[in-house]
Amino acid sequence: MKIRFWGVRGSFAMSGREFLRYGGNTTSVELVTDAGKRLLIDLGTGATELAKELMTGEFCKGQGALPILLSHTHLDHIQGLPFFSPFFIKGNQIRILGAAPLSGISLEATLQNQLSPHYSPLNGLENLAAGVKIETIIPGTTVTLPGFEVLTGAVPHGSMWTTAYRITADGKTVTFLSDVEYPAIDEPIPAALVLAHEADLLIHDAMYADDDYERSKGWGHSPARAGVVVAERAGAKKLALFHHNPDATDDMIDAVVERTAARSAVPVIAAAEGNYLDI
Amino acid sequence: MQITFWGVRGSYPVPGAATVRYGGQTSCVETSTASGDTLIVDAGTGMRALGNKLFREAPAPEHYHVLLSHVHWDHIQGLPFFSPAYIPGTKISVYALLTAADELHQVIGGITRHEFFPMPLEAVPAQFEFHQVEPGVELDIGGFHVTPIALNHPFGSVGYRIDGDGSSWAYVSDTAPFTEVLHKQHFLSGPEPLSADDRVALAAMRDALVRRLAGVDTAVYDTHFLPDEYARFPHYGHSTPDQAIEICLEAGVRRLVLYHHAPTHSDEQMDRIAAEYLARGAIHNIEVLTSFEGMTLEVGPEAT
Repeated sequence: MKIRFWGVRGSFAMSGREFLRYGGNTTSVELVTDAGKRLLIDLGTGATELAKELMTGEFCKGQGALPILLSHTHLDHIQGLPFFSPFFIKGNQIRILGAAPLSGISLEATLQNQLSPHYSPLNGLENLAAGVKIETIIPGTTVTLPGFEVLTGAVPHGSMWTTAYRITADGKTVTFLSDVEYPAIDEPIPAALVLAHEADLLIHDAMYADDDYERSKGWGHSPARAGVVVAERAGAKKLALFHHNPDATDDMIDAVVERTAARSAVPVIAAAEGNYLDI
Repeated sequence: MQITFWGVRGSYPVPGAATVRYGGQTSCVETSTASGDTLIVDAGTGMRALGNKLFREAPAPEHYHVLLSHVHWDHIQGLPFFSPAYIPGTKISVYALLTAADELHQVIGGITRHEFFPMPLEAVPAQFEFHQVEPGVELDIGGFHVTPIALNHPFGSVGYRIDGDGSSWAYVSDTAPFTEVLHKQHFLSGPEPLSADDRVALAAMRDALVRRLAGVDTAVYDTHFLPDEYARFPHYGHSTPDQAIEICLEAGVRRLVLYHHAPTHSDEQMDRIAAEYLARGAIHNIEVLTSFEGMTLEVGPEAT
């Protein structure tokens, strides 16, 4: 299995020289199996960059298939949807899977609202030429996708829940745990440990440098240290800090990685836009 | 009067090495008079950096006025990230073209609904106030005299002529030209045949725009597309620099500023566009500049 980070930034897309090495696009992560099956997590602005690449191949001919897992529907995780060009070619088979954002509000209604005529000239999901199949996940269940087995789980994110994913393919496991804040940093909830159990790569929310966390408590995001606790307890083999703060420049992220790695028994990297990485 | 560009991109923000010089953030322009009155035009992602600057300069409650051309995502997405909104006592007046200010409240509130954003509008410390604008109905805001102008964009959009300090500039974004497509309140999968009424409506909209732009010093204009791109997507609601030059020449505008750049246009491509249209404008005696993030322009005296 290979992974490519197309967007690693949290909350807000950042352009400019200070954000070139890690990248300024919001959340979007692609996984590809050895046999070439593909899976996308989240539709932040990073997805628009992946879209350009997809449109050089079968998606341009309307012969592409792609399942997309959504962690949740905060804007930085879906803002690339109206500009994800494979939607505009008839024949592409695109599925969006995710949990209902809140009780009483369906995933489909939420995405429809994003494309309402006020906000988007697309004026509704029905105008995407490719169509889109929206499938509601019940967190805690397992989803089988072509080439991938996915265990899902709900984790707390401020006033809502996000869905975390444990994705297995080719005998390797990647755990995606972003937009999460545990009741206490040193006490990750059991679901997090189950999802990250002996994962080859744990991708974890690291919105705040440890020193900045105290004044940012309650917004639903983790300090870098929280991912280390999960990785160590769950026996993960590698930790990728993710969902970087929009104000964190490349140099600041370097410093966070250095400080975090010094206090971690598990190897630590910061997720960065760029090339495919082998798991 | 001064204009500062905080976001010059259309559609969606584009980070990365290819947009470092012109900038990747979406529509947001700040204008101020010599006496310090300020207006914000559009609330795209550029508004975050503007908010941070305003907060640094004066971390105290102020009254901000935000004119919206329309409420597509790329023109409102910065609002929840405008840091002065989180200072108690701040007041934010939003002006837009909608059937009622109440509807505007719902729409702006809608982007901070629980499923989209962690803090709903009602919980934000700033006090929001919503005003409906109508094309041709002029209004005074501080030292500015503002004239809304109807534009041709899906579900409607307005431009603004802004007079202040004895000079004037206009914000003309987002708009298609007034030829092949008349944008209405429904989805277009391609250009639709124009009826006789449609042609009359387009001509009237064009005439009103030219009339309102008459004698304006500077026009900031939606020039999202190059001509070959426009030819493929005439129903997307955006113009080319050539179409903007045509309108500005007819209205006698002194200076045209290209704006709302396509997200796919790299810095190198923007350099070529800037050079080409500067030269083309010179032939017709109109100054054509290309906006970039951080650019500040002085708006000169009324052109004669």
